[in-house]
Amino acid sequence: MLEIYISYFARQPLASIPVFLTLIPIVLIWKRKAYLDRTFQILAIYLVAKFAIDFIMFDWASQKKNTVVFYNLSVPVRYILTSWMFYNKLEIKRYKNWLLLSVPVFTSFSIWDILNTNPSLSDLHNHKMVLYSTTVESLLMLFWILLYFYNTIRTLKIPNLLTYPFFWVCSGLLLYYSSFLFIAPVLHYDSKWEQWLDMGFLSYVPYIFECVSIVLFSIGISQFPSPRYAK
Amino acid sequence: MQNNEELKLALLIASIAMLMMAFFVISFVMYYQKKRFEEEKKISDIEKNYNRLLLDTALNSEETERRRIAQDLHDDIGTMLSLTKLSLNQLSKMIGTTGDEKEDQIMKKSQSLVEETILHVRRITRDLVPTTLERFGLLEAIEEFIDKLEEDNNLVISFQANTEEFPRQGQKLELTLYRIMQELVNNAIKHASCSRIEISLESTEEMIGLRVTDNGVGFDPEKIKENNLAGLGLLGIESRLAIVNGTVQYEKPLNGGSSAFAQIPVMPIAENKPEPLHPFRRERVNI
Ligand SMILES: Nc1ncnc2c1ncn2[C@@H]1O[C@H](COP(=O)(O)OP(=O)(O)OP(=O)(O)O)[C@@H](O)[C@H]1O
Ligand SMILES: [Mg+2]
Repeated sequence: MLEIYISYFARQPLASIPVFLTLIPIVLIWKRKAYLDRTFQILAIYLVAKFAIDFIMFDWASQKKNTVVFYNLSVPVRYILTSWMFYNKLEIKRYKNWLLLSVPVFTSFSIWDILNTNPSLSDLHNHKMVLYSTTVESLLMLFWILLYFYNTIRTLKIPNLLTYPFFWVCSGLLLYYSSFLFIAPVLHYDSKWEQWLDMGFLSYVPYIFECVSIVLFSIGISQFPSPRYAK
Repeated sequence: MQNNEELKLALLIASIAMLMMAFFVISFVMYYQKKRFEEEKKISDIEKNYNRLLLDTALNSEETERRRIAQDLHDDIGTMLSLTKLSLNQLSKMIGTTGDEKEDQIMKKSQSLVEETILHVRRITRDLVPTTLERFGLLEAIEEFIDKLEEDNNLVISFQANTEEFPRQGQKLELTLYRIMQELVNNAIKHASCSRIEISLESTEEMIGLRVTDNGVGFDPEKIKENNLAGLGLLGIESRLAIVNGTVQYEKPLNGGSSAFAQIPVMPIAENKPEPLHPFRRERVNI
């Protein structure tokens, strides 16, 4: 078992590193008691879910099975959890309502997308990556992040952003989704089990920025315990 | 195949552009936030300084006004009383020759009344302007204040300073400390129903500390502030301290009573000339 993992790790280091890197922020949240903060509680749930899904994917990939089905499932889960964090952080009622509305809409859209790209669900071997969902997700998340930044600038409640944990989380997400935005639609063609399109280095970019975002999350969480800026 | 290469290049460029934008957004947010905060801080600093100036002016004019009243009392009423005393003396000499017992008694009585009034006026003027403070400094002034209090109360007031010779400070600083001491001791007498008051003065290179401790009922300054019970006294202490960057802490000693500790950073002595008497100064405040 372990040998298979290690050999897969050696073959695909860039794809495997973020799986285990996720453990760092999880441990940090636990150690620094960041889960006392509502937003970071959600982040913890997200990270644990991400780790579980990623690990199963890692396991299947090391046994040379098609893991795309998990990826497809992780898209709506990821969106629900990350946008929930922003639901907590946004303060204006109207934006909150938009965000709330976007969740069921996007979830149904991504399910439709999965069904659309994979007419026969039972054929796991030829399961294909969703075509639009990731791009739409990236766009939506970028929008929420920018909206959040705009609000922080306007309300001026945080004296020092560098010691404000959620700012780091936002920056991580912003970098991750920006790197993903254009690559995501092509991944659909790249990750086909047969007749795949070789993107070479580009297909690793999301992994690299996944690592970057995880590191930024960790930096943010290490700012705990931080003074509450509740003015 | 060539198409594939072009697609890759386009994707690479697009992704790099996106990432650059992300970096730009993050740095912009950080920069803008920092700048806004600096501005905000500057404004609040200006406001603070302005308020301090206002307070300073108010207190200054209060002192000047006291001085004016004291001067008037001393010059007008004091002079008149002295003249009255003189006339009375003359009168008494004239009456003395006739030698009527009753007239003599009335004469004595009016003379002693005038004498007493003169003493009262002098006391009032001295209370209004702490002349001892100005002439001999804080130690003497506090000792004098204590002596006067001990005379007509059965209180024990002790005073100690950590240095034999207390260096003279700026006028404003001495006055601030003196007035604070006055208010704290008055409070202890008024509210604490105590039998002992201890005053101590500690001076170091940078700080002067004044501690007033009583063994009375004690009080909770937080509660008093919360419930808006603070009179002019405690608030006055705070505003006086705000002008000289001082701080005050109220403590509850273990063996009951209350203790207040005021600290003021030593300032370089400004020009040592006394305040002009009148017309009282109005400071122009510029922002
Ligand atoms: N040494 C003390 N012991 C007990 N209570 C005190 C003492 N000093 C102050 N207090 C309480 O704090 C309250 C506020 O005091 P403060 O000096 O501000 O007002 P005041 O003495 O009542 O009025 P003012 O000083 O304006 O004549 C007092 O009413 C009293 O209840
Ligand atoms: Mg008082």
